[in-house]
Amino acid sequence: MPRPIHLWAFLQGIGHYPSGWRHPGAEPEGVFTMDYYARVGRLVEKGRFDAIVFGDQLQSRGVRGRTPEHLAMPTLDPMALLTAIASVTQHVGLVNTLSTTYWSPEGLAERFATMDRMSGGRAGWNIVTTAHPDTAPNFGDEELPEKSQRYKMAAQTVAQAQAIWRERNAALGPSPQARPVFVQAGQSGDGRDFAASIAEAIFCSAPTIEEGIAFRNDMRARVAAAGRDPDAVRIMPGLSFILAETEAAAIAKDQAILDLADEALCIEYLSESLNCDLTGFDPAGPIPVDHILSQTCFPKADIGRALEKPAAIGLPLGKFASGYVRTPRGHNVFRGTASQLANMMIQWVEAGACDGFTLQPAYMPGELEIFVEEVVPILQAAGALRTEYPGSTLRETMGLPRWPADMAA
Amino acid sequence: MTRSFILSAGIGDPALADPAMAAQFVTAAEAAGVDLLMLGRHDSLPFDPQVIAAWAAPRVSRLGLVPLVSSRIAHPFHVARALSAVDYLSGGLLGWCPVAQGGSAAQLADLVRATRALWDGWDDDCLIIDKASGRYLDTTKVRPSNYVGTHYAVRGPVNAMRPKQGHPVLVCDAASPFAVPGLDVVIAAEGQAFPAAARRLLRVDAGADLAAMAARFEAGEIDGLHIDLTNPAAELARIGKALAPLTQGRPSAGTLRERLGLPLSLRNIHEEIA
Ligand SMILES: Cc1cc2nc3c(=O)[nH]c(=O)nc-3n(C[C@H](O)[C@H](O)[C@H](O)COP(=O)(O)O)c2cc1C
Repeated sequence: MPRPIHLWAFLQGIGHYPSGWRHPGAEPEGVFTMDYYARVGRLVEKGRFDAIVFGDQLQSRGVRGRTPEHLAMPTLDPMALLTAIASVTQHVGLVNTLSTTYWSPEGLAERFATMDRMSGGRAGWNIVTTAHPDTAPNFGDEELPEKSQRYKMAAQTVAQAQAIWRERNAALGPSPQARPVFVQAGQSGDGRDFAASIAEAIFCSAPTIEEGIAFRNDMRARVAAAGRDPDAVRIMPGLSFILAETEAAAIAKDQAILDLADEALCIEYLSESLNCDLTGFDPAGPIPVDHILSQTCFPKADIGRALEKPAAIGLPLGKFASGYVRTPRGHNVFRGTASQLANMMIQWVEAGACDGFTLQPAYMPGELEIFVEEVVPILQAAGALRTEYPGSTLRETMGLPRWPADMAA
Repeated sequence: MTRSFILSAGIGDPALADPAMAAQFVTAAEAAGVDLLMLGRHDSLPFDPQVIAAWAAPRVSRLGLVPLVSSRIAHPFHVARALSAVDYLSGGLLGWCPVAQGGSAAQLADLVRATRALWDGWDDDCLIIDKASGRYLDTTKVRPSNYVGTHYAVRGPVNAMRPKQGHPVLVCDAASPFAVPGLDVVIAAEGQAFPAAARRLLRVDAGADLAAMAARFEAGEIDGLHIDLTNPAAELARIGKALAPLTQGRPSAGTLRERLGLPLSLRNIHEEIA
């Protein structure tokens, strides 16, 4: 028997590709309707996924108040979407992204406690510290605390939330999982140590199997060093995918989606990534390096380095922006057939590169439907994916003990 | 136009956070002709009402959901986003009732103003969603709110859509009053001052003589009743029967605002009315 593969669907907006909303199989209007989320919830449950995760950010979209015209925004609050999905599903876990920097321990503890009750024990928390400097003004602050400070605050906030849950569980009877499943995605030293100290599942980006193995080994060592059982932590790298009948057709399909990213979209996308509005510049003109460096709130040294080469060879702004959208941002992008993808997934898990995958469909819901219809049966036939859910709570689904040790009174 | 009776009921019992019980309550409230189901009570919030509203959203067809929003733990940026989502998921059947829970009325009013300012950063008609041209929205119809109040400062634009109803129906419980213009519904007990609002509901307990109370609606003194439930399933059945003559035959389609005959155009309501 191969090692079991855990599947998570990482959703935000209408898919992983910025141009994905323009694909014929995408339903961008759906993100404002309950019908769409009910369908997605049932689809993911049919594929026997562990959980749906919604990513979330708290900065305003766009740059300096200009919201992009060509990117599928706005999205809706994930807590609401996930809890509504809980109402129309039975098994799938629901993992809400929530910031320890911009939520109070009382507010988030109450939110997750109620979510765990209303979902019958299917709540999870993707613990993020918020990295975007533009978040601060939405909360009356001038500046984002720096990273090690944010992780210190995160550890404190989690500890305070745990105390509140213990108190509430004693007063009202425990919520089905006592507290949400902790999920984290730290990459830095601070982030990895924080994840090692509390996370039950860890997201990461692993573009190659070697990087996956290195990350998983590193995290398992850190988890053990923190005095926890490495087998009680699921490592779940991101995986985007483009499926077709043949590998050549998948590559052509990928190209077609990328071609939907026209110059206007690419320049808006680049503007957000550099935190500098470039929509007023001539796409045929040079990259306005000095302007970008004077405007951006991101580390200027990093941005300067990234722009050095394209500026030196005289690459026009529009071409640079188009190339930027086409370069995958750290996550593995698979292009091929359903059986190739299933084989790759089994191979990664067997090699110890991960315990499963955080799937990031290129566009929604079309590409996820193809995965569930075509890849899931192959994984099940190989004995690598469950055909029935083992229980009702998210921890049971993840193959973890139902009661976290830290929740004992 | 004939006046339409408004029936409101509230549940502050921890049982509302048990999905099996909550399912019963929502079904019973809808069957009883309740217009506004208040999730929580100003003095009893043993759960997060916004989460319960999201859970109930796919289960309602005409019942309005009114989570209590406590300024003790809420922040306008989070409130604006969560309520926008639930308004869409429920098909425009959302209200909200801000309460201070020991905090100041000034902070509560500021929470309401800041949240509305975030919603008003988006125009109703900002979305284009045209796959052919690649235009998703009209950026001239979205702007930062730059709200600076007595307790909150929020820049925006909020990264969530303007709610389906523009603003969810704003309910004020006179037990936790706050002063903002444009209140939609106010709930007050006998002898308590009614803050200015489009609709006035009298707070009574479930054992009250409902027929006598209803006479005061006919006389034009009040627009409806609010009942704090202590044994929701049983009381809802009884209330539904007792008030059937007033609640039957009312419109059941449309958003909550449309059904209650409340203002639909809400752009910058806080500036226009102030
Ligand atoms: C798959 C994945 C998903 C993530 N989702 C979010 C998210 O939704 N919101 C967020 O603020 N950060 C998100 N992050 C960022 C992480 O929380 C973390 O900040 C990042 O990986 C960098 O690590 P560091 O904080 O240790 O520098 C995500 C990261 C990964 C790898």
